[in-house]
Amino acid sequence: MAKVYFSTWNGELINNAGKPEEEWEESAYNLPATYDDHRDSKAFIGWDGVSLFNEDVDVIRLAMEYAAQYQVYSEACGRCAPGRWGGQILYDQLDKIARGEGAVADLDHLKEIGKSMQITSKCEIGKTVPNPILDLMTHFEDVFMDCIENQKPSKHYNQDASYIAKITAPCTDACPAHVDIPGYIEGVRDLRFDDSLEATRQTMPLAHTCGRVCPHPCEDACRRTNLDEPISIMALKRLGADWETDHDYNFFHPLEKKPANGKKVAIVGAGPAGLTAAYYLAADGVEVDCYEELSVLGGEVTVGVPEYRMPWDKYQKDIECVGDMGVNFIMNHKVSADDMRRFEKEYDATMIASGTRLSKKVRCDNERPEIQGYWGAIDFLDWVNLYEKFDIKTPKATQEQQMLPGDFVDLTGKTVACVGGGFTSMDVVRCSIRAGAKRVIMIYRRDEKTIIRNTTYEEYHEAVEEGVEFIFHSAVNTMIDEDNVLKALDVDKFELVPDPDGGRPQLVKIEGATERIEVDYLIPAVSQSADFSHLPEEWELEMTSWASLKTNGKDYMTSRKGVFAAGDCEYGPMTIVNAVGQAKRGASVMSRYVHTGEVTLTDDEIMEDHLTKLKVYDKKEKITGWLPGLARQQSEIVDVDIRKFNNVEVNMGFTQEEALAEADRCMRCYYIAMVQA
Amino acid sequence: MSKTINFTIDGVSVEGARGETILQVARKNDIYIPTMCYISKTTPCASCRMCVVEAQGLDGFVLSCNTPPTEGLEITTNSTELERERTNIMKLYDVNHPLECGVCDKSGECDLQNKTLEFNVGQQNFAAKDIPRKIENWGLINYDPALCILCEKCVHVCNEVIGDDAIDVKFGGYSSTIIPKNNDKLDCTYCGECIAVCPVGALISSDFQYTANAWELSRVPATCAHCSAGCSLEYEVKGVGISRDASIYRVKNNFEYTNLCGAGRFGFDFDNKAEKNPADFHKAVEAISSAKAIRFSSMITNEEAYMLGELKSKFGLKLFNEDARLYAEFMKAYSSVSGKKHHSGSQDAIRQADAVIVIGGRIATDNPGVRYALTTASRHNGAKIVYAHPIEDALMKNTITQFLKYEAASEEGVMALLANAILKDADLSDEERAFFNDLDLGYLCAESNIGEEEIALMMQSFTRAKNRVLVVGSDMMAHSRAKNIAKLCAMIEKYSEFSLVVVPSQVNTLGVSLINELDIDEELADNVVGYNASGNFVISSLEFANLAIPSLNQQEGTFVNIDNKVLPTNVALAFDGYTLLDIVQACGVKRENTIDCTKVLDTKAGFKAVAFDDLENFLSAHGDDNRGYILDEVACEMNGTLDSIDDLAEFNGPVIYHSNPVLQFNAYTNTTSQLERDTSLRGSAQFASIAKISDGEKIEISFGSRTIVREFKLDEELKGTIALNPTFDIAVDSSRYRFEKSKIMRVTNE
Repeated sequence: MAKVYFSTWNGELINNAGKPEEEWEESAYNLPATYDDHRDSKAFIGWDGVSLFNEDVDVIRLAMEYAAQYQVYSEACGRCAPGRWGGQILYDQLDKIARGEGAVADLDHLKEIGKSMQITSKCEIGKTVPNPILDLMTHFEDVFMDCIENQKPSKHYNQDASYIAKITAPCTDACPAHVDIPGYIEGVRDLRFDDSLEATRQTMPLAHTCGRVCPHPCEDACRRTNLDEPISIMALKRLGADWETDHDYNFFHPLEKKPANGKKVAIVGAGPAGLTAAYYLAADGVEVDCYEELSVLGGEVTVGVPEYRMPWDKYQKDIECVGDMGVNFIMNHKVSADDMRRFEKEYDATMIASGTRLSKKVRCDNERPEIQGYWGAIDFLDWVNLYEKFDIKTPKATQEQQMLPGDFVDLTGKTVACVGGGFTSMDVVRCSIRAGAKRVIMIYRRDEKTIIRNTTYEEYHEAVEEGVEFIFHSAVNTMIDEDNVLKALDVDKFELVPDPDGGRPQLVKIEGATERIEVDYLIPAVSQSADFSHLPEEWELEMTSWASLKTNGKDYMTSRKGVFAAGDCEYGPMTIVNAVGQAKRGASVMSRYVHTGEVTLTDDEIMEDHLTKLKVYDKKEKITGWLPGLARQQSEIVDVDIRKFNNVEVNMGFTQEEALAEADRCMRCYYIAMVQA
Repeated sequence: MSKTINFTIDGVSVEGARGETILQVARKNDIYIPTMCYISKTTPCASCRMCVVEAQGLDGFVLSCNTPPTEGLEITTNSTELERERTNIMKLYDVNHPLECGVCDKSGECDLQNKTLEFNVGQQNFAAKDIPRKIENWGLINYDPALCILCEKCVHVCNEVIGDDAIDVKFGGYSSTIIPKNNDKLDCTYCGECIAVCPVGALISSDFQYTANAWELSRVPATCAHCSAGCSLEYEVKGVGISRDASIYRVKNNFEYTNLCGAGRFGFDFDNKAEKNPADFHKAVEAISSAKAIRFSSMITNEEAYMLGELKSKFGLKLFNEDARLYAEFMKAYSSVSGKKHHSGSQDAIRQADAVIVIGGRIATDNPGVRYALTTASRHNGAKIVYAHPIEDALMKNTITQFLKYEAASEEGVMALLANAILKDADLSDEERAFFNDLDLGYLCAESNIGEEEIALMMQSFTRAKNRVLVVGSDMMAHSRAKNIAKLCAMIEKYSEFSLVVVPSQVNTLGVSLINELDIDEELADNVVGYNASGNFVISSLEFANLAIPSLNQQEGTFVNIDNKVLPTNVALAFDGYTLLDIVQACGVKRENTIDCTKVLDTKAGFKAVAFDDLENFLSAHGDDNRGYILDEVACEMNGTLDSIDDLAEFNGPVIYHSNPVLQFNAYTNTTSQLERDTSLRGSAQFASIAKISDGEKIEISFGSRTIVREFKLDEELKGTIALNPTFDIAVDSSRYRFEKSKIMRVTNE
């Protein structure tokens, strides 16, 4: 809800002209009426309409400035005839009217050009820029006519005013890292893979990784869904990265590294968040020391995500790309509280990006870590991946505790039960299959639909194909052991009972349905929590109710000045792309903080947040100008009878033909939004 | 998956294949949809928006150039609304377009002019403030951004088809413009394809600019005479029939479907000029009558080759052409294993490929046609392209996916390694299998410097490939083990899915190799007549001839190109001197016309008995290449067996590799006025250090029995101990292996 003087946003028509302010009808949308802490907005204009927050706005100049944004700031434009010429004509004609030299015929030309742009432009910018301009011309015709008839400038034509614009797209907005998705897809479509990769890397250094293992929230906001099916956005990201790797190019950096500015930051953790922050800070000329506890870089994507999903040689390229920007990695260094105190003195800022590496308990009876066969998912995956990717052998103590026959995770003949339902648990069960387990069971409290929603359709079906048994609506009641060796689990069954009051259905235990399942291993993968033993207690860093570091979710500074946090340790266990997005923003804030000691956001970031709040994607919007019924391409996956027995990458990626067909489905839904503040 | 899609366009039932767009299907069915930015050989630029169409039941227009049809779709290509929008787009294109058609080089063949008329845009309602735009001079190419309509065709062909990727769109709304990519000045191979595809006069040949009107030029369809790609082109000639000073003003190609390199496009003025001098002519006839041999180059037509063969029979003289002889020997060995005369692949096969191995040549400059086919395969099919050679080529970097660097002279070993990997599971005879089982892979890997893991990586990258091609360059033909290499190539072609392309080194090497019985060049001291080659008496279309004859742009006749295609070429400029026909006639051979030879070319070699005038010579509107014909396949005796691999030779010290810079191929390109002539020896810093020379120094290079003087140029893009030695300005004996151990000395000429 927002208080507006006038609004045509998303088809609403609110006109409070002549009404006293307290009687103003409100807009149904989260319009950015307040720009930032010290500025109110005067107007907001964008692809879907225009909103005026007070009466004094110069509507002709607003329209003209909006047209100017299209010309001046939009890197996306100049790429189609209607947009290139039409956009310039819109601007010129509006400026002519605004400076008091317009003619009535100009209004007709504006309407005609506007309509042509709406119908024939290449991207949504060209199609939508005329929308609010035509709205203003319709609803404020008298204002336009006044300037034309009296040949006078518009009311604030010669005054200073602040217009702040931002390009977005529904997918870009939905992506936590705000990747320029239409840009990288256009690169694929035009066979300019270097451009594609650079578009990705502007905000996302891990192109190989997020071209493979991202849960792609962007695809839930793909406008193509309104027409048929969403674009396979994630898979198209791989093409640019593969191009660079296949042709053995030096890394295509979208930004030139600035000269060293004498500032230094410490980053704790070299996972996706740490790497991302390191990349953009290093690019900004800040000296970056990135500390990593393990002997390998990459964090959970390295030691958590299995080889068959994220091949190490590809992730390694992403990490090398970050290193290529000039980052000092200090490995095998577990940061201590003393280190943190020292960092505060020696560095200009610190970022904590240490992830969540403690496996949470299942919360069943007799859940005792000393029982052999009880094995936390994080530790389990560590040893699987360290061996598969780096030939690092499982240490003696773990071998003995987990009854391994040799120096790697060999589950031949064993039965493994995993409790979970998210990506980590999928990794556990599929790795167990590959480790030779006789039987692999996933115990999950909820149903199939939910597990698919929490992971992906592909992930679930591939696991089923590989032979994982999913037991839904179940939970472990008790671990049964003999002399501290796990033997079986008692598993309770539940059913969904509708709430008679119409609330959410409740899971209710079915009495007497408890089943005893013989197992050799129970691997809890319900969730993870952060290890904060390295935080100096006296700092008393504020925590969230779910025991992660608290920030305001915008600038990512913790309750202690100069100490920032991003990724899972801030948010709780979440996706790679979320960690990247947070770290990118955090790095941006830090790059200013190290100079000024102030925590600030750029206009671009402020606008980004406003638009996310407003929501860019409108799933009810009717799409015109595109042919529906073009199927989303599916990439080939390795046959189950082959992949079950090895770690080859399951998803073979698109063939060029598939990739181009998929890229052609993209509708280039760029939009421009602008605030007058 | 491969099912066709049935739909209608303007009520006509049409069928679309998988991957085709509405526009492509419309064009195939001769249904007109206007476009300004579409070009068949690239992905759609989608910038003009003229090709919008209506689809039954849908609001708004659909872009036909990049939308595939769906089953049952009903498309309308014309309506009042479509007409209005298309007209509006044309009006927009005309906003501020300079009214300089009177002098514009494009006038008369300008898409903007044509479409402005087509849409009857007689007046302009829209106006925008123009902005100053600076005309750029990029060497052979001029760019006028004021004329540019930002269709992006140039950018697309440069990247997707040529592979230079040298230009870019600088985005910025109305001020968008074309700029050199990542560079202040244009850094490219100057193929000029951007000029060809430019629909307006924005990109123009700087040499041609303001010299002629399009309508004053006569077009002569011909085949390019610079390399074995056999590209089709048109010489545009001014003054034919009016003036004896007629000359070629420019060269154009059917850019919608074909490409040309810079030598083809800008290197057209290699015609020869001469008057008839009976005394010289008699000397020539005498020289031939008493000659022991004629030495000739492959820069001749099939018909000339045939007539030289007639002279051979008439006088019992020998014919020397080492270039063609080595090619023939190579193919003979190939045939002994494959059982057929011609290699199976073509440039088109490369364009369709998704896996290619290129070995034994510097393909980008040896044969730009093949390079462009590789570029197309790389971009459009995502082809995995393995480039095996002792020297990297920066031009190929964005095309190849794996570089196999082997030691010079180890080609036989490398081919054995490749064949061994490719034929691992092939159904070979016991004998053939035994050959591979007996290979000492460790030795071959060690001596060739190719790791087994590199071969494994290559095979892995080919896993999903459906169309595979092996391209074998001319390093192999002069290799001491050429025959065994040829047999290995034949094995791969015979027992795997790979098709094979054996790259002929000169424009008509392949034709000559099929037409003439060639003798080993004994380097006789006297009584050798040179025909476009050295000899005691020289008959040539080049300088310093005892008798001048016409160049290849002054003759009609045919070539056989790399695709085993017999291609006709025509006379662009008249020649007033004597021709081989005159000589042959004077020698008593009964022959009325040169082109009478065309239909008597040996059918046992695969030629068809088709008269020259019956040869088609055009590209259809849909791009089908209807030039000449493809040689018939000829069965050969299969009596060849693989020899065991010889010890691999080692090349130490400074080595030079005979290889031309871009735009240069031979003595003919060397005579043209526009092409850059870089005669320097180019080498890496490492080469400079072992040869003890530095950048810019004058040096003396000795190889074999020759000594030449060149400038040394340090090339940052090169690595290793092998330098590139141009041959276009010096004739190098083709029987010589292209890598040469050499002595390099600094010249001090004070």
